[in-house]
Amino acid sequence: MSHRLCAVIVSRGLDELLRFCLKNFFESASGLSDQVQVIVADNASARPYTASSFPDSRVRLLRFDTQTGFAAACNRAVQECDAEQLLFLNNDVLLDRSTLVRMMEHCDAPGIGVIGSWLYFPDGRVQHRGVVFGSDDIGPYHLDRGGYLEPRCAFQEFQAVTGACLMVERELFSRIGGFDESYSFGLEDIDFCLRVRQSGRRVICVNAGRPLHFESLTPGRVELDVSSRQLFLQRWRGKYSIDG
Amino acid sequence: MPRLLESVRWAEERIVVDMESRDRTCEIARQSGATVVSTPIAPRVDGIRNNFLEQGKHEWVFVLDSDEYLAADAEWVVRDLIEQHGQRFDAFSIPRYNMIAGQIARCRGWYPDQQIRLFRKGCVRWSDTTHKPPVILTSRKRLHVLEPPGCLHIHHENYASVEQFIERQFRYALNDQYPADGFSFERYVAEAFEEFNYRLDEKNDGELSFALATVMAWDRVIRGLIHWERTGRKDSLSRAYSLPVTTLSRYPDCLFPGDVEELRNRVRLLESVPGAKSMARLVKCFRREHRNMKERLKRMRQRFRR
Repeated sequence: MSHRLCAVIVSRGLDELLRFCLKNFFESASGLSDQVQVIVADNASARPYTASSFPDSRVRLLRFDTQTGFAAACNRAVQECDAEQLLFLNNDVLLDRSTLVRMMEHCDAPGIGVIGSWLYFPDGRVQHRGVVFGSDDIGPYHLDRGGYLEPRCAFQEFQAVTGACLMVERELFSRIGGFDESYSFGLEDIDFCLRVRQSGRRVICVNAGRPLHFESLTPGRVELDVSSRQLFLQRWRGKYSIDG
Repeated sequence: MPRLLESVRWAEERIVVDMESRDRTCEIARQSGATVVSTPIAPRVDGIRNNFLEQGKHEWVFVLDSDEYLAADAEWVVRDLIEQHGQRFDAFSIPRYNMIAGQIARCRGWYPDQQIRLFRKGCVRWSDTTHKPPVILTSRKRLHVLEPPGCLHIHHENYASVEQFIERQFRYALNDQYPADGFSFERYVAEAFEEFNYRLDEKNDGELSFALATVMAWDRVIRGLIHWERTGRKDSLSRAYSLPVTTLSRYPDCLFPGDVEELRNRVRLLESVPGAKSMARLVKCFRREHRNMKERLKRMRQRFRR
């Protein structure tokens, strides 16, 4: 059966958080008229996820025994799904009931390639509302991260959005070669968005309720950012607009 | 089967050894592009593998059972292992996750549950047993043991329920081979105690741990009874219950809870100083300290007086 939307969640441990993430995803998906599926890529959890941990038949588990980069895990997971739209979701993102409906409203709009969403920290501060680029070594960063802000419009265009909650057409994802697996962990999402824009499609961030993002809860995740950042700047410096 | 075959789709050659299956095993295997060979059904499966190891055309062999499968990244992990260590080693011991009654067991004995399954053709041989490790024909030094976490694993969906687990253990016990001499029911009973303490791990496996540890302890007693009957019921069984300990531990590196360990130490001492007086003294002393074991000690004393 062909699905309209497939969520890809790369996750390591944190079983209970993942359960909440899935619960919120399905609650949000209940507002859609189409079938959805979820592929959970178990990225070498010490205790592998089991089907009985996530009894929903729409959840499919894909196990990796060795720790695999986010990009490689996502690319591999996408091979397993047949949906038209892909949603890359972090296990520490809890969607709002209205999030998926609002994101999907923009799927068929002409010229739009990637759709991101406003994300909030649990205390109500903004975690993500779009990625902007600073000059020199500053590079990409989350606009207004940590500020108390309310959205003023339904959506806004950016050069990039976070991969913590990123929707893209499957066909486009495959056409531009998926995420670049040279990145160990981090910035593969920004690299991807820039390549989407190079292909002539736009990247937007929508105001989609109040989804939460706890951010970087997985142990060992942060250390890998440094090499990714070096690679990103080496590859993209001078090729993006300074808008931050 | 479909999941197993899919998980090794990347292998250059896949051979399914069918033991007179009455379901769709052969059809599923052929549909997925595997070669199917047949063999008569046998009570013990380990040795059957030997007959087919040479049939593969390739240098390296990976043996899996029908209720096992590999992870999505197995292809590149296996290729990487062979490339990096293939010159120095002939076989790889791979940890295995065992899923029992919907839960991955993490207690001792169930994890890491090392299995020698990836090896250079002609370097490994199994015996006519069930679930016993094979022999490395070249040298034990040529075995590379993968250390978890973060390494290749075999994923094994053993038993859907505790009931199925009991049924299977019973079958293994009945089908196993037992030595013609050296029967000691005391040893089986003592091993049952050890098995229980060895397997019990409430912290990791919760309530299921009690169930599994009990079945494994029970398995030792059942095997003892089968062995007793097959050796002609020559030895006495009742003696075993007068001294529920053994002088040899199968798990010498493990610490056991107080009572059993203490009792074992006393018996070791008893063995080194045999004699009526020392036995009486030991039992009396132990009884004073362990009032909850009064009944057992009573039986021990009766036995001793006789």
